[in-house]
Amino acid sequence: MLELEFTVNGSPRKIESEARLTLLEILRETFMLTGAKEACGVGECGNCMVLIDGVATPSCLVLAGDAGGTAIETIEGLASDGELDPVQRAFVDAGAFQCGFCTPGMVMTAKAFLRDNPDPEPEAVKQALSGVLCRCGTYSRIMRAIDQLTGRGI
Amino acid sequence: MTTNVGRSVPRVDGYEKVTGAHVYGVDIQIAGMLHGAVVRSPHAHARIVSIDTAAAAQAPGVEVIVTGRDFPFLFGGACQDQPYLAIDRVRYIGEPVVAIAARTEAEAQEAVDLVTVEYEELPAVFDMMEALDENAPLVHPDMDTYVKGGHVIVPHTNINTLWTFQCGDVEAGFAEADHIFEHEFSAHAISPAALEPHVSVAKYDPVTGGYTLWLPTDRPFQMRGELTSSLGVTSDKVRIIVTGVGGSFGGKNTLISETISVALARHSGGRPVRVEFTREEDLVASTTRVPAVMRLKTGVTNDGMLTARTAEIVWDSGAYTANTPGVAIRGSSTIVGPYRVPNVSIESRQVYTNRAITGSYRGYGTTQVTWACESQMDIMAAELGIDPVSFRLRNAYEEGDPYINEQIMHGVGLHESLKRSAEEIGWGEVDRAPAPHLRRGKGIATMIKPTATPTSSNAVIKVEHDGRVTVLVAAPEIGAGQSTVLAQMAADSIGVPLDSIVIPGTDTAFTPFNGPVASSRTTYHVGNAIMLAGAEVREKILRAAGEIMELEPVSLDLMDGVIYHDGERITTVADMLGSFGFLDGYSITAEARYSPKGSPLLKAPGPYEWMSSIFWMFATHAVEVEVDIETGQVRVVKVAAAQDVGRAIHPLGCEQQIEGGVMMGISNGLFEQYKGSGGKIANSSFADYKLATMPDLPEIVPIIVESEHSEAPYGAKGVGEPGAAPTAAAIANALYDAVGIRLMDTPLTAESIREAIEALAEEQASEAGRSQ
Ligand code: FES
Ligand code: FES
Repeated sequence: MLELEFTVNGSPRKIESEARLTLLEILRETFMLTGAKEACGVGECGNCMVLIDGVATPSCLVLAGDAGGTAIETIEGLASDGELDPVQRAFVDAGAFQCGFCTPGMVMTAKAFLRDNPDPEPEAVKQALSGVLCRCGTYSRIMRAIDQLTGRGI
Repeated sequence: MTTNVGRSVPRVDGYEKVTGAHVYGVDIQIAGMLHGAVVRSPHAHARIVSIDTAAAAQAPGVEVIVTGRDFPFLFGGACQDQPYLAIDRVRYIGEPVVAIAARTEAEAQEAVDLVTVEYEELPAVFDMMEALDENAPLVHPDMDTYVKGGHVIVPHTNINTLWTFQCGDVEAGFAEADHIFEHEFSAHAISPAALEPHVSVAKYDPVTGGYTLWLPTDRPFQMRGELTSSLGVTSDKVRIIVTGVGGSFGGKNTLISETISVALARHSGGRPVRVEFTREEDLVASTTRVPAVMRLKTGVTNDGMLTARTAEIVWDSGAYTANTPGVAIRGSSTIVGPYRVPNVSIESRQVYTNRAITGSYRGYGTTQVTWACESQMDIMAAELGIDPVSFRLRNAYEEGDPYINEQIMHGVGLHESLKRSAEEIGWGEVDRAPAPHLRRGKGIATMIKPTATPTSSNAVIKVEHDGRVTVLVAAPEIGAGQSTVLAQMAADSIGVPLDSIVIPGTDTAFTPFNGPVASSRTTYHVGNAIMLAGAEVREKILRAAGEIMELEPVSLDLMDGVIYHDGERITTVADMLGSFGFLDGYSITAEARYSPKGSPLLKAPGPYEWMSSIFWMFATHAVEVEVDIETGQVRVVKVAAAQDVGRAIHPLGCEQQIEGGVMMGISNGLFEQYKGSGGKIANSSFADYKLATMPDLPEIVPIIVESEHSEAPYGAKGVGEPGAAPTAAAIANALYDAVGIRLMDTPLTAESIREAIEALAEEQASEAGRSQ
């Protein structure tokens, strides 16, 4: 058993965890933060993306021990008091989801990218989001959502 | 009055989806839940000699072990040929043999490795054409003993579905033709690959003998039917509570993980059992699109009129039937495309092989036949020297044309879809060689799809004391926006605000029957049921208002939840019903059933009236592609995708479906391909089974075509399936335009394109040599 301390969506957390558990498992099963999704478990779909110290990271690839001491942001921490984050708002307005399974991973990846690149070129957006699969094929609408945020759209 | 219909209102599932709050099948956690894992067959065809589970039973955390002998039931939507767990024999690599439930998923997986199964291998058949050979090993020697639906089987062969169709006189049709073209095409297996893997939680109640399941599906009542009929229990003994659905695309409509969770739950002493497939299991041991080999012979006159077609189609169902007879028959019946062909003969044979199971996939057989039909249309157009768009327009259905079964076509926006997509892509103008190694071309393909007919839908509407309106329909939101569109139609048909509408999820214990959320049927069928029940609720509200206020109902009106008397606002539904207080209460309810059965629109003389569809869908994709002639890599530059939706209830939702369909069509057509041999799938992860990603996104222009349909709710037809069907053929036709190559088999891989370019160059060089 490992003793772990980190912050999750701004709140300090202290837990005991088996060393073999991944951050994704801890988030989903210990904290019941089920927004991050597992669609592959091996780093190939991006549906489990969370931000670790501000960096979009597939949480299925992070062992619990390696998450110690970090600040973790998940989709559940983005809206405050029922008020959607601008990225979430843009996804709703642009219709950038269908089944929504990839949406938490997509939104978190977009969030981290836009923090660092407020006015990106479309090709850079495409590259930044290339690690998140969307089987519903909403890529065109996700691009529109990002365009709205960066002022290129509408 | 339509205040919501026709507007892109915010999707009702938006907030919960962008905040991660939407509860999918994978998110269900129940106290005391066990986790299941599966021992799978390493052989494509073998007899099970013995199973030793002693070591696994001793492993840490293991609570339940079940084999086929312990739970000896057969299931299957179309034919009960499939065991929950293999009984004495395995028929494909990956078939479940032993199920294990443990306290954690990891413990269950570890115990899987401790089971020893001894097999005796049997001769296997992997190729659908070889499966037709009279000396081929039989995958199901006892085929004729199974409980099955109405489709025709051929006992003592591998043919599990035989279907034929004739109209007109094909010999006479070919005699009339100036040219006869014969080609063979094939369409490959595709994984639905919903990002939410197959998952279910099952709980058995040892007192009542009933099962409760939590699972993502688009077909709750049909799945309940598969369970009750295979287990021999009554409907109250299987309750399905549908969770959020993280994509289906046809994949989540038959029992997959459910057979395992149910078998384990039956033996777990009442503890719930959760089974979630790994991505590997999902890719190799769920279902795929049904691969097909299609031989077309088509007669055409010099001026480009189609006179006759024969089609011979072979479909591969894999080791079990699942719901493939419907796919094969539906697909085969549309291989004529959306064209007037007076003389047609179709023979469709579907065979068992020792491969992974196949099943329904977005388009239900029409993606395969569209590939063949639309590729051949282009080949013929080129040979005849007729422009591909004008060749299609000459033969394309128009309002009032007879379909091949002589149903009179109604609601046909096909010509408009062809013309507008061609116009948008800039048909006829191409910048051929933007760089020395790049070539560009344009191509077009169109498609036709019926909806499953007749199928029915029910709706129950209940107005609560505070004006909230509960709409009970078994129409799970699978991502296509069903819940929003149905809420819009409910609100407008009653006359209440959109945000007063509540559509709780589906629970077969309470929700009335509905056919599947499939075949693009939901908006039309459930919408019609909602409109009928909505009109009745509206009338009852006005009648109640008349009684309560002592006014003539005819002088009353209801708009946006407000009741008017002779144009004056007098109260609201909430105030009126709320005044009855806590114990006296007042709810207003209505129920309705919609079925197109008996509609004059379905009339067709002769034996094929069952082929009539209550509405027809049409979609055309016009594409521009850029091919790298050195590597064979294709980049789709632009897609103009026009689709006849009847009337758009939610225009943005229609555009989402069209654009998503294009992306899926590109992914299916260019990238996705199973590899391996001997029934073994070698690529079992997203690293090897490549889906389209964001950088593959072309410019997509969705074009909504609206056609009139007299029985559609607010004029709306279906929109979900057609979007992915014409893309592969349109790309292939654009490749021909770009570099002169013609591919007969999907997928259009860079390798196959490069080889075709090289072969064409060699051919041209040798022809040049000969002519010197
Ligand atoms: S689940 Fe983590 S990348 Fe797929
Ligand atoms: S919205 Fe369904 S996978 Fe992206």
